Amino acid sequence: MTTPVSSAATGHSPSAVTQRPRRRRSTRWVAIAFVAPLLVYLVVFYAYPLIENVTMSLHRFDRGSFVRGGAPFVGLDIYREVVSDPRFWRVVSQTATFTVVSILFQYVIGLALAVFFHGGQFRLSAALRGMFLVPWLLPVIVSGTVWQWMMNPDSGVINSFLGVFGIDPVWWLNADNALMSVTIANIWLGIPFNLVILYSGLQNIPTDLYEASSLDGASPWQQFWRITMPLLRPVSVITVLLGLVYTLKVVDIIWIMTTGAGSSQTLATWSYGMAFGKGASTVIRYSQASAVGTILLLVALAFGVVYLVMQRRRED
Amino acid sequence: MTKSPGRRVSAGVALAACMALAACTTPQPAAPSASGEATKGTTTADIKFWDPYPQRTDGSDWDKLVKACAPQGSTITRTSAPQSDLFNQLTTAVKEGNAPDIVVLDNPMMPEAVSSGLVATAKQANIDTTGVDANLMGPGIVNGEAYGVPFGSNALGLYYNEDLLKKAGVDPASITSWDALNAAIGKVAASGGKGITFSGVTGEEGVFQFLPWFWGAGANLNDVSSDQSVSAGQLISDWIGKGWAPKSAVTDNQSAAWDLFLTGKYGFAENGSWFASAAAQAKFKIGVLAIPSKAGGVAPVPTGGEFAVAPVQAKDADNHYANAAAVIKCLTDGDAALKTNETLGYLSAKPDVRAAQVKSNPVWQPWVKSVEGAQGRTTELGAKYVEVSSQLSEAIQGALNAAGDATAVKSAFATAAGK
Repeated sequence: MTTPVSSAATGHSPSAVTQRPRRRRSTRWVAIAFVAPLLVYLVVFYAYPLIENVTMSLHRFDRGSFVRGGAPFVGLDIYREVVSDPRFWRVVSQTATFTVVSILFQYVIGLALAVFFHGGQFRLSAALRGMFLVPWLLPVIVSGTVWQWMMNPDSGVINSFLGVFGIDPVWWLNADNALMSVTIANIWLGIPFNLVILYSGLQNIPTDLYEASSLDGASPWQQFWRITMPLLRPVSVITVLLGLVYTLKVVDIIWIMTTGAGSSQTLATWSYGMAFGKGASTVIRYSQASAVGTILLLVALAFGVVYLVMQRRRED
Repeated sequence: MTKSPGRRVSAGVALAACMALAACTTPQPAAPSASGEATKGTTTADIKFWDPYPQRTDGSDWDKLVKACAPQGSTITRTSAPQSDLFNQLTTAVKEGNAPDIVVLDNPMMPEAVSSGLVATAKQANIDTTGVDANLMGPGIVNGEAYGVPFGSNALGLYYNEDLLKKAGVDPASITSWDALNAAIGKVAASGGKGITFSGVTGEEGVFQFLPWFWGAGANLNDVSSDQSVSAGQLISDWIGKGWAPKSAVTDNQSAAWDLFLTGKYGFAENGSWFASAAAQAKFKIGVLAIPSKAGGVAPVPTGGEFAVAPVQAKDADNHYANAAAVIKCLTDGDAALKTNETLGYLSAKPDVRAAQVKSNPVWQPWVKSVEGAQGRTTELGAKYVEVSSQLSEAIQGALNAAGDATAVKSAFATAAGK
């Protein structure tokens, strides 16, 4: 390894001067060659679809103009139409309810379970913790169908169970209750994610803090609020913000259970239905779907910025 | 730690994105050409065939039948996807200039497919449409020009559980109007059975199932919120409200509704002729009736079934159309029509073939009248039908959710119609 370096350094000192610019140019090319695959990847798979999506929402497309081309440019007309659609604000508020309620319960239950498993290493605790991951491992098509079946209003197990306590059967998936039902299923689906991240966050909190505080006579409740919560804050912020972005774009579980019918329509399912002519919207609405998709993207982006700002503030 | 390298990279990405923007605003690819004549082309080695029957897997009877239709020296590659996915895939394929040679497309999609420039005329693709019933051919005729051919048809009817009806003391022959039907369902329910299963799922499938009641009430697709239309909504809404129909009808598709009927607990099921053979093999005796209209008599049902079409091709159109002509002829011509329909569980679109089917297979007898009296969904409205169908779908969901509440049913139809 040493010989070529020394010969290059000592042997040809005059020519080394002339070689330097060429070498710099070649290293620049090497650098570009290293970055190029990433750039190409980003452009092809991120920038291009994103720009196509926005372009589509600014032109009035139907199936014919999608095939033949020549969709007229209409500026922000599609956005105006979408926002003034009587459904829009209803769907926005449903999306907000679905997202906020899902995240709240996922976080609280996930945290409670994480603290529970972190607190005591009892027998089978690992196996039990593993079982809580099942919702994450099952394909959503399976869990969604099972939820739909369990929530069957006439013969579902949930209603039979409630019946034992004398509670009247609930029509889970009708227009009014659909939002509540899909939210319940989605909470169940999101608990493992919260559990795993918060659990690993808990493991990074030094145990001597707990020992010291218990010597000072702190109760478990005080320990939780004064040590666990503050030290877990960075992890909590990541969990909640990632959860927000994930939940905003949920289509699968809702689609499988209700195809976005009634109150379970969210911005994501609405956009999906219009983009592919599915659900109640048999008509394909490329432009409107792109517009809703773009709005959804902007909301997610806003949360992303919040995340970055918080991260930066923490670093300073 | 410094952040400038990261910023520089993101600036580079932004620059690249701008370049991509410039690239994607360049003129659209040329529109696929609608020219081409099957008679001027020759069949090619690879033939692509798309159909909406994913349940008919490789090696099934249908799969074998299609593949056996490959002309000398050709092989057929068959691809299946659900109806609406298939239509979307066809849209993209025609746009990209790599459309398959033959597509089997659901009949209410035909006017939109034609107006979007996806389908070649029957004349171009040398498809023979003679002898096909006018009502079944209807969806494939746009501005007097025929596109593709319906090789078979199916219809909706009212299946009933003979044992349950006997136990309840109901004579099926008496069910000729809505009142008579409701009385019969009431008797079945009173004798410990359940009423009726049907599909009210969002989208075209639920609308397809609703149309016999809609048309049977005298309603017209030009007016979704008419009194007649609302009365049809009230009928199915009451079934839910009285507990005669399962509440899961709001999410049940036709297969799910059929499975519920097969439990043997329900007296009636509104479902399609494609289950006729399955009904003959069920554990209990199943009969079938024509769906009654409100005032009495047989209600018009929507035509069901698909069209075999040749998609528009950007290059080598003559040869692609020649492929389509050869394969479609092999599936629909002469005796082949009977085999194709029996394989799919359909009734032929041609009266003479239908007669032969009934002769050899008595389960078809009760369906012939329904198929012959069936009404094309798009015949009246053409490509506008999908818009009306979306409104109806919303109204049906509203009506089922109302569970009998007349005010809510009425407002569901008014809201859906945008009034």
